[in-house]
Amino acid sequence: MDPSKQNSFEEQWKKAFQDSTETPPLSAWKGIEARLDEEEKEKVIPLWWKTPRYWYAAASVAALLMVGIALWDGSYDVNNNKANSQIAATDKQLIDSQKAIIEEEKGVIQTEKQIGKTQILNSENAVSNVERRKELSEKDNDFISAGEKLAVQKPAFSESRNDVQPSAENNIAASSGFNKERKSLLASDLKKTDEIADLNNNPEKPFVMSNPDAASQILAEALTPIGYKDLDVYVQKRYVFFKPDAIASNKSPKKEKKKQEYWADVNVMPASFNPNINVVNAPSAYASANASRQSLSGSSRSGASYALQTQGAKRISKHWSVETGLNYLQGNSTYEGGGYLLNAVNSQSENVLQSALADKTASGSNASPNSPTTGGGAAYSASNTLYIDLNKEVINNYRFVQVPVQAGFTLNPDKKLSYSVVGGVITNFFINNEFESASGSIITSTPKDDVYRNLNYSATTGLRFNYKLSAKLKATLSGSYQRSLLSGFKTSESLESHPSLYGVAWGVRYSF
Amino acid sequence: MTFNEQELVIGCQQRNRVAQKQLYDVFGGKLFAICLRYTKNRDDAEDVLQDAFIKIYENISTFRNDSPLEYWLRSIAVNTALNHLRQHKYLKQLDDIDTHENGLAGKDITLADFQWQQLLEFIKELPIGCQTIFNLYAIEGYQHNEIAQKLGISEGTSKSQYSRARTLLQEKLNKETRFDDGSVQTK
Repeated sequence: MDPSKQNSFEEQWKKAFQDSTETPPLSAWKGIEARLDEEEKEKVIPLWWKTPRYWYAAASVAALLMVGIALWDGSYDVNNNKANSQIAATDKQLIDSQKAIIEEEKGVIQTEKQIGKTQILNSENAVSNVERRKELSEKDNDFISAGEKLAVQKPAFSESRNDVQPSAENNIAASSGFNKERKSLLASDLKKTDEIADLNNNPEKPFVMSNPDAASQILAEALTPIGYKDLDVYVQKRYVFFKPDAIASNKSPKKEKKKQEYWADVNVMPASFNPNINVVNAPSAYASANASRQSLSGSSRSGASYALQTQGAKRISKHWSVETGLNYLQGNSTYEGGGYLLNAVNSQSENVLQSALADKTASGSNASPNSPTTGGGAAYSASNTLYIDLNKEVINNYRFVQVPVQAGFTLNPDKKLSYSVVGGVITNFFINNEFESASGSIITSTPKDDVYRNLNYSATTGLRFNYKLSAKLKATLSGSYQRSLLSGFKTSESLESHPSLYGVAWGVRYSF
Repeated sequence: MTFNEQELVIGCQQRNRVAQKQLYDVFGGKLFAICLRYTKNRDDAEDVLQDAFIKIYENISTFRNDSPLEYWLRSIAVNTALNHLRQHKYLKQLDDIDTHENGLAGKDITLADFQWQQLLEFIKELPIGCQTIFNLYAIEGYQHNEIAQKLGISEGTSKSQYSRARTLLQEKLNKETRFDDGSVQTK
């Protein structure tokens, strides 16, 4: 057939179908979409054992452990070898070591006999081991005459090998000749000299060699260091391909989306705040009224609080970020218990917080007009007070400005839904505290009163979900916990406070 | 939102559904036409098309701009169709077949008068082996040794199946032509 005509026939068909297009039925895309949805659902479920990342992490940890153990063992051996080297310094001990080697080699010969004709391979390996040790021992002639003993050992060994097949004998001879060559090489090799000393001083090694098991012997053989000239040299061939248009064509797919480096958050956080106030020592007025025990019985209860948070963050790597910001915290709580003191003379009452704070401010020098002292504490005379056992909740609210510094680790950072674990330290600037007196009036403490610590630190940790609304905007939902690291009071003997907070914050994030 | 081809690829690599849909809208018709050529009915073609697009979305991260996107998509569609035929054991027994000359080999037959849909029907009427090999050789442009490798058959089988396909198609074309112009074809 004329090829031109044949081509013409195929070309015509090719041309006819070149731009052929047929609208697929609507059900086709629906089917595809359903399958894509199904796949995505499967992928969203965080099955950690199906995630290669965790396996890589586990493998890395295992590898580190193995390397660590190996290093630990290695360091142990090094020390051991050092000790052996010191021992090797004395000739007498060297000779003892040689004797030990000879003993072990006898063991090898015994083993060889047992193996006999059936395990020629094993015999050959053992023979080469003996030969090597012989060679190594000869190398040590400067120190001892134990080499002569090994020379004597050789004919004895040959005799014991009479029952071995001739091929094995040949191998022994070959091995002997080879070892003579190696000996001359080794004579100039300082490393080998060290190895000889090591071998001579370590009677365990020949013992290992004498294991009749073929696999063990092959392994031992493989682990025995050999001269660099015996190493196989592999040269890898390198092929260089040149594709002139590769650079141009590769440029466009590598044009990655610019990573967002900064973002700003605005959050509102309803929270549960508890100042955890404890009266640790009875206030003096309570002590005078014989109500020391009762004064310690009160406790704080958390109240509905909130925080307004603005934060800025910088992404420092794919997963890690650092965040800081400025928060306002309104921490509401109540205090219940401790009873009241009633002054019999002027009928003024005082609760335990008042009393304790009065003690505190009385010792201070710069009480302000609005300080807790004005609550009536100073008016109390110790002799005229009565204790009234009445439980009443009193308001105890705090305001702080907070400056958090946190580190965040984000999983799935570029996905629609990402998760961040955050943790760090918050610096709390005390603004004021309001608590309700026994009479119902509100007593306010400010930093000037010197009652509360003006600057306190809290540890914080939390989990945040980030949902990508658009390229720039994300919705965030975070749960966080804060706990003060120091007592909220300045050196107060009767009061202690470690505020804590649980909160759930909703917010939006704008990425730059 | 519309994407150019590169953005489409990047969007699909990021599993952006809008990009995936647009890729389907742009290339779905062409790939469906391929699927129709390799199958006997529209339902099978639709199945193959769905499988092909799922494969495309799953493997688009491996796409490099070494070749045009359409060429890459077409090759996936063809391979998916061949898998479909294998799964349904349509290609189980492809043997050498005797070809007989119909006397039309030397005649110039032009396809210009035919719509591609008509030609598609001719192809679909072929035995499945002939249909597959004709598609691969004449339209996709594979060589017989490549087809033999793809289908796990001998090169000779590929050639004989193709020859048979060609003969049958020539007969069909000739028949249609005769009916159109009223002339009588002589052997």
